[in-house]
Amino acid sequence: MQIELGNHTYQFLNEKALFRDSNKTLIIADLHLGKVQHFRKNGIYLPPQSALKDYERLKNLIRSFHPKRIILLGDLFHSAYNHEWRLFCDFVNAYRSIEFVLVLGNHDILEEAHYKDICSKIIDKTLEEDDVIFSHHPLKKMVAGKINIAGHIHPGVVLYGKGKQSIKLPCFYFHENQLILPAFGSLTGLYVITPEKGARVFGVTTNIVMEM
Amino acid sequence: MRYRAAIDWFNYKKWKPHAFQKQTWKSIAEGYSGMLNAPTGYGKTYAIWFGILHDFLKRYNTKKSDHKGLHCLWITPLRALSKEIENAAQQVSHDLKLSYTIGLRTGDTTTKEKAAYKKQMPHALITTPESMHLMLAQKGYDTLFKKLQFVIVDEWHELLGSKRGVQVELALSRLRTINPDIKVWGISATIGNLQEAKDILLGTAVEKGILVKADIDKKIVIETVLPDTLEKFPWAGHLGLKLGNKVVDIIRKNNSTLVFTNTRFQAETWYRHLLDLDPDLAGQFALHHGSLGEDTRNWVEAALHEGKLKAVVCTSSLDLGVDFRPVDTVIQIGSPKGIARFVQRAGRSGHQPGATSKIYFVPTHSLEIIEGSAMRYAVKNNKVESRIPYIRSFDVLIQYLVTLAVSDGFVPEQIFQEVKQTYCFNSITWNEFAWCLAFITTGGKSLYAYDEFHKVVIENGVYKVIDRRIAMQHRLSMGTIVSGGMLQIKFVTGKYLGTMEEWFISRLKPGDVFWFAGRNLEFVRIKDMTVQVRSSTSKKGIIPSWQGGKMPLSTQLAATIRHQLNEYGKGNGRDKELKFLTPLLEEQKKRSVLPNEHQLLIEKIMTKEGCHVFVYPFEGRYVHEGMAAIMANRIALFKPITFSIAMNDYGFELLSDQNIPIEEAVDSDLFTTAHLNDDILKSVNTTEMAKRRFRDIASIAGLVFTGFPGKQIKTKHLHASSKLFFSVFEDYEKDNLLLKEAYDELYDFQLEVVRLRNAFERIEKQEIIVKNIERFSPFSFPIFTERWREKFSNEDIETRVQRIKAQLEKA
Repeated sequence: MQIELGNHTYQFLNEKALFRDSNKTLIIADLHLGKVQHFRKNGIYLPPQSALKDYERLKNLIRSFHPKRIILLGDLFHSAYNHEWRLFCDFVNAYRSIEFVLVLGNHDILEEAHYKDICSKIIDKTLEEDDVIFSHHPLKKMVAGKINIAGHIHPGVVLYGKGKQSIKLPCFYFHENQLILPAFGSLTGLYVITPEKGARVFGVTTNIVMEM
Repeated sequence: MRYRAAIDWFNYKKWKPHAFQKQTWKSIAEGYSGMLNAPTGYGKTYAIWFGILHDFLKRYNTKKSDHKGLHCLWITPLRALSKEIENAAQQVSHDLKLSYTIGLRTGDTTTKEKAAYKKQMPHALITTPESMHLMLAQKGYDTLFKKLQFVIVDEWHELLGSKRGVQVELALSRLRTINPDIKVWGISATIGNLQEAKDILLGTAVEKGILVKADIDKKIVIETVLPDTLEKFPWAGHLGLKLGNKVVDIIRKNNSTLVFTNTRFQAETWYRHLLDLDPDLAGQFALHHGSLGEDTRNWVEAALHEGKLKAVVCTSSLDLGVDFRPVDTVIQIGSPKGIARFVQRAGRSGHQPGATSKIYFVPTHSLEIIEGSAMRYAVKNNKVESRIPYIRSFDVLIQYLVTLAVSDGFVPEQIFQEVKQTYCFNSITWNEFAWCLAFITTGGKSLYAYDEFHKVVIENGVYKVIDRRIAMQHRLSMGTIVSGGMLQIKFVTGKYLGTMEEWFISRLKPGDVFWFAGRNLEFVRIKDMTVQVRSSTSKKGIIPSWQGGKMPLSTQLAATIRHQLNEYGKGNGRDKELKFLTPLLEEQKKRSVLPNEHQLLIEKIMTKEGCHVFVYPFEGRYVHEGMAAIMANRIALFKPITFSIAMNDYGFELLSDQNIPIEEAVDSDLFTTAHLNDDILKSVNTTEMAKRRFRDIASIAGLVFTGFPGKQIKTKHLHASSKLFFSVFEDYEKDNLLLKEAYDELYDFQLEVVRLRNAFERIEKQEIIVKNIERFSPFSFPIFTERWREKFSNEDIETRVQRIKAQLEKA
C-alpha cells in the first residue's frame, strides 16, 4: 500500500516493514533477535527453529525490493550478547552491497564494537534526513514540518463487529505526523492501541496492509 | 483362630464386621489381588487393613515381630486422606499393641523424615502417586521394596481418570519385577466400568484377581431447593445467589452442612453472600478450596471433624474420602454435572453405617431445576458414569524413564517388557519406545541442538542421568503433573494464605481490593513471585476467578435430562421439580416448541446483533463445542460466513452478522454421520485446541521447566515456550509422539469423539424442527447470555475486516 508522508512516497508492507522507493531504503523496527538464546539462559527453552522465520522474511524482502540501505529502528537484539548475534552477522555479511544503519533502542545493550561489525552507522537517538526524523522511541516533542518514524510500541489494533466478532492485527499507526511501525520480530507481543482522533491505522495481515 | 486381630479389635470397638469386610480378609488371606467396591462410611479401610495385618502376623509369626522393612504401600490421591488413613491404622496398632509401624510420605514430609525412611522404612508407608515416583528416583530404591508384599491404591476411581493413574500403573510394573509375589488391591467407589478399573490396576500379569462388592444400598434423599415463585427466578445465570436465604435456613436447621460449589469463584462468592445474609454464622463458618493454603485447609478439616463448624463452603476439594462424622447435610449449588459425583457428595453426610444421606440441590437458573428431577431418576435407576482411563501417555512415560535414569539407571529391554504389561502402554511398539529413548538422550529430531535435552547418557547399555543439575531439575519438576501458573498469596507480615493464578493478579494494581480465602485483601505488591497483601476494611472487592475447563454434563446425566423432558411432554411422572417448572416449559411451548425424545429443536431469531441459531442436543458442553464447529463448517459450504459460538450443557448458539441459511443446511444432511471424522478435522480448530492441551504434556515430559524454588518462571513464558515447541513439532516432526498425544487427548477427553459420533447418530434418526422465533425462548436465553465464545470462520481475514469496517461506517 502506497502512502504519501511529507514529501515522499512510502510502501507499507505486509511483512511489517516500510519501504521508500526514492532512496531504496527499507525500514524495520523491533526485531528482538537473540530471544531464543536469552530465554535459554533464563531456563526457558524455545526450539531453535523458531528464530529462523524472521531471517526468512527479511531475506524475501531484500530479494523483492533490492534495498540499498536498511534502517533498523532499534531493539535489534533482545538482550546481552549470545551466539545468536553471530547468526545475524553472517546474515548481514551475505549482503555486502546493502548499507545497514542502526538507531539504538532500549534493548540494544551490546558493546558498540559488535554493532560496528555490521552497521556503517550507529545512531544514539535520532537520525534526521530530509523531512524525516528516525527514532526508536516515538518523539515526545515533534518538530514542525518534520515526520517522525519510530518503533518501540509494537502497535496492534482490535476491530469489533456485529455478531460478537473481533479481529486483532498488528498495525502501522500514523498520528500527527508520527508513524509507528509494527514490530518485525515474530517472537514479540502486540500492544493494543486505542486510536486517537484523526489517527490513521493500517492493519497488517499475512497478505495485505489495509487502512482501518 | 482366623482373622484374630480383626475380630479382637471389632469386639473391642463393639462393632460387627460387614460381610464384605470378612470376604476381603478371606480373599487377601488366600493370596488374591483385587478390588474392593463399597460405599463410604462402612469401613472399607478396615476391610483391607486387617487383611494386611493378618498377612504380616502370619508371615512373621509373632505379634511382637522384630521384622524390619516395608510390608505395605498405601497410595492415596490426597494428602489429607493419607493423614486420615495413618490415624486409623495407628489406632489399630495401638489398641492391639502391635509392633506394626506406620509412616507417611507426601509432599509435606520433611527432608529429615525422608532421610530417616531411607535408613529404616516403617512397615506400612502411606503416600501419593507423585511421592511414590520420587522414591523410584532414589538410589537403591529396589532394596526398599524388596520385602514389599502389598500395594493398596485408595480411591482408584479418582486416580483412574487422570495421568496420576498412569503413574500408579508404571510404578506397579516396576514393583512387580522387584517382587513378583506382590499383591495389589484397589478401593473404588461405584463407577460404570468397575470391572475394567480392576483389570487396569491389576495389570495383565496377575492371575488371581477378585472383585469384592459390598452388598449395601446407601439411601439418598434428594431435595431440590425451589424459589418461592418461578417468575422471580432468573432464566440464566451461574451463581444461584437468589436462593441464599433458603440455604441459610437449611444451614440453621441442621447440625453441620457442607455447601458444594462447582468452581472456586462460586465458592468465594457464596461464602461472602451467606455471611452477608447471616452474620451470626461468623466464627463457625469456613471456606475450603484447592487454592487455599494447606494450613487453612487442615484447620477447616480438623474443625469439621470435631463438629466445631456449622457450615463449610467448598469445591471438589472436599469430594474425597475424609470422614466428617458431624456433617449431616449436604447442599449442591448448581448442576452437579455427573451422577457419580453427586452421589459421592451426597455420601459426605450421614457417614455412619445405615444413615440416610440427604442432599439439597440448589439450581442457579430456572431450567436447571430439571436436573434435580433427573438426578433422582438416575439414582433410583442406578445409572452411573464410567471413568475413561488415559492410554499411551508418552509424557508420563518419558518422565518415568528419566526418573529411573536418575536413580539406578535402567536397561531399555527390561523396562520395555514391564511397561508393556500396563494397560496404558499395552499397545506400545518397540519403535515408539525407542523414540522415547531418543527423546531423553538426544532430544530427538527437533531438539538435538540443545544439550539441555541430552538428559540421559548410556553407559554399558544402562541409561543414566549423571549430571546432578539435571537430576535435581527432574526431581523438582516431578510433582508438576498438575500444571503451574500460580502465585503465592501472603500477608506482608509473612502469613501464607494460598495461591492464585498469575493472569488474575496481573490485572491488579497496588491498592486494589480483592476477596480471597473469605477475606478482603488489599494488593500491596508482587515480590519474588509472591503476592503481598494486607487486610482491607473496604466493602467492595473483586472476586478472583480461576481458569480451567468447565466440567461438561456427563452422558448419563444428559440422557436422563432428555428422558425427564420427554416424560413431561407425555404428561407422565411429574415430580415436584417438573410440576414447578410447568409454567416455564409451557412458555417454551408458546414461544417455540418443547421437543420430545424423537425431535431435535433448532430455533432461529434475528436481532440487532445479527442472526442467531440455537440447537438443543442436550449432550453436554464439550460435545456441543464439537458439534457447533462441525455445523458451522457444513453451513459455511453454502457461503463464506463467520460465526461466534456459545454453548452450555443443553445446547449451543451459532451467531453471525449475516443470515444463516439453516433451513437449506438442514435439508442437505446437516447432521449426517458420513465423513464425520473428516469434518471434525476440517472444522474444529484442532491445532489451536491441541496446542492448549500440549501445555501440560510439555511440562510433564520435561520440555519446560517451571523453575527452582523461589525462582519460578512466569507462566506466560512457559506457555509461550510450550506453544513454540508445539509449532516446531508440527513443522518439522509430524510423527512426534508427544504431539500425537496432544491430539489423542483432545479427541478422547475434550472433543469426546465417541460421544460426539453417538450424538450425531442419535440426531440422524430424529425429526428436526426449525422454528423461527420472535422472542428468546426459555431454552435459548441462558445460552445467549453466555459470555465465553468460540470463533469459526471460513472467510479470509481481509473480507472480515472489510465488512466490519462497512458496519462501522454505517453506524
